[in-house]
Amino acid sequence: MIRLIRTSIMLLAFSSLCSAEMTKITDDDLAGVIGQGVYLSGEISINENGGPLANSFFGACTDANKECGARLSFQTQQGGGWFVLGNIKGTIAFEGLTLQVRNISSGFGGDGALFNKDVMEIGLPESLRMNDFQFTLATSSNARPGDAGFQQVDLLTVEMDGEVTLDGNLLIFPTP
Amino acid sequence: MFLTAQNKLKVITFLVLMPFGYASAELTSLSDNDLSEVDGAGIGLVMEDFVFSFGNDPANDKVFKITGLTSTSGESVVVNVNQLYIARSNSNYGTTLDGVNLGRLTNPYEIDLLDGDDIGLTGEAVLQLAAPTKVDASVGYDCLDTNAVAGSGTCSSRPSSASWVNGERPDIGLEMEVNVGVEAPRNMNINASSAVFDGSYIRLWGDEGTNKMAAEFRLNFYTPELEISTCSQVNQGCGSSMKMRDFELELALGNTFQPLYFGADSITGGLTIEIAKITHDYINNIDLGTGLSDGTVDGDAAFAFFQDYYTNPAYRSNIAVSDLNISGTSLGSSKVEGLLIQYLDVKFRDLSP
Repeated sequence: MIRLIRTSIMLLAFSSLCSAEMTKITDDDLAGVIGQGVYLSGEISINENGGPLANSFFGACTDANKECGARLSFQTQQGGGWFVLGNIKGTIAFEGLTLQVRNISSGFGGDGALFNKDVMEIGLPESLRMNDFQFTLATSSNARPGDAGFQQVDLLTVEMDGEVTLDGNLLIFPTP
Repeated sequence: MFLTAQNKLKVITFLVLMPFGYASAELTSLSDNDLSEVDGAGIGLVMEDFVFSFGNDPANDKVFKITGLTSTSGESVVVNVNQLYIARSNSNYGTTLDGVNLGRLTNPYEIDLLDGDDIGLTGEAVLQLAAPTKVDASVGYDCLDTNAVAGSGTCSSRPSSASWVNGERPDIGLEMEVNVGVEAPRNMNINASSAVFDGSYIRLWGDEGTNKMAAEFRLNFYTPELEISTCSQVNQGCGSSMKMRDFELELALGNTFQPLYFGADSITGGLTIEIAKITHDYINNIDLGTGLSDGTVDGDAAFAFFQDYYTNPAYRSNIAVSDLNISGTSLGSSKVEGLLIQYLDVKFRDLSP
């Protein structure tokens, strides 16, 4: 107990020393900061080997009679059926997604000079790779498989695998 | 003093709740009415130098297929998507992939929260996703002409030109190989050049009367050439094609009086699409024989409402093609104009038992 208190005091003392050096950053100061942007790489994997549920509908990906992907369902009418984005599984890997604030005052076929504002720029990744990525579009009578009277109508299933060509920048800005 | 586990929990809960107690006193819920008063700035979206391309190509370890479909005879259908692309115009069926802009900085794609009072939906907050808007003909560009200059039409998106090579009109294509059971695969390709979507939007809101998500959908699609062909992937320019020159689609599904409802059936699970029939509070004040007002204020209001409903071109859909050419034979122009959807009730169901 005593050791814990001592540690706390030391931490507090340290932080109080630090805070003495801190000053507020005004909006004006912040506007003067020129950021370097962010460079992101990553891999998103969804239910690659199946999810945690095991029942009459969900199971391991090795079981051909069971669905092993993730499931999102949403309802657009009170008391109505459900839209389903089901059996979502696989991996999306990307490298070089960038995020930065950029001032545009020229280019864009003459629009840049008229616009003359800052935008948030999301640079689409240099490389985007899907690994056995798939999902099913469907509609169903109940939110969860296994609910009484559950019926589902599958519309189609999309399967993607390999390197995708996706270039460009997404520019985001407020409009009047 | 020793605290029992229960007392400890009480003390912690009290401490945690205290700051919230003060804070929540300031919070009030926002009703749909309050939200509809919000006139916030929207979010503008522009794609710069955009290229998308992906397709099924087993030789290069690429898979892109659509499954889960069944033919009427019960055979499974596998659609291999040879290429799906969005790129700068003159892409030559997606073989030359250069960057195109989508939306203009001065007229972008937009996500916005609209005040329903301004668009005839009293007391509703409306979410709108919109393509660039149409503009005045004095500053706009012809929607179809690939050499259009300013002042030639009502579209805001510009074609690719020597001075602005990206342009804002993409080539879009979907090239597929359809496999039905054990039959030989058949090709089906849809390619649109220099496509424009200006004036399209979808508005979504919660309909208080029916407790359904309601929508108003406008799709404007203009292209100087829409080609549907059965050519093989390596020979997209082959002769077995249907070319629609100067294709214009202005589709209006749902409006403020007759919203479009998307849903699913709570028993069969099938997709449902509905547009309710048109009506008015004082419809009984209109004479059924003459179709005119009975002379009362209510009757006049109902008559004015229906007069606008049947004459306003904003509620109507149009499709026009200046020349339809099938495998080299020209069939001339065709037009469907002023199509008014008065009632729609579509229900999907599973064919398999």
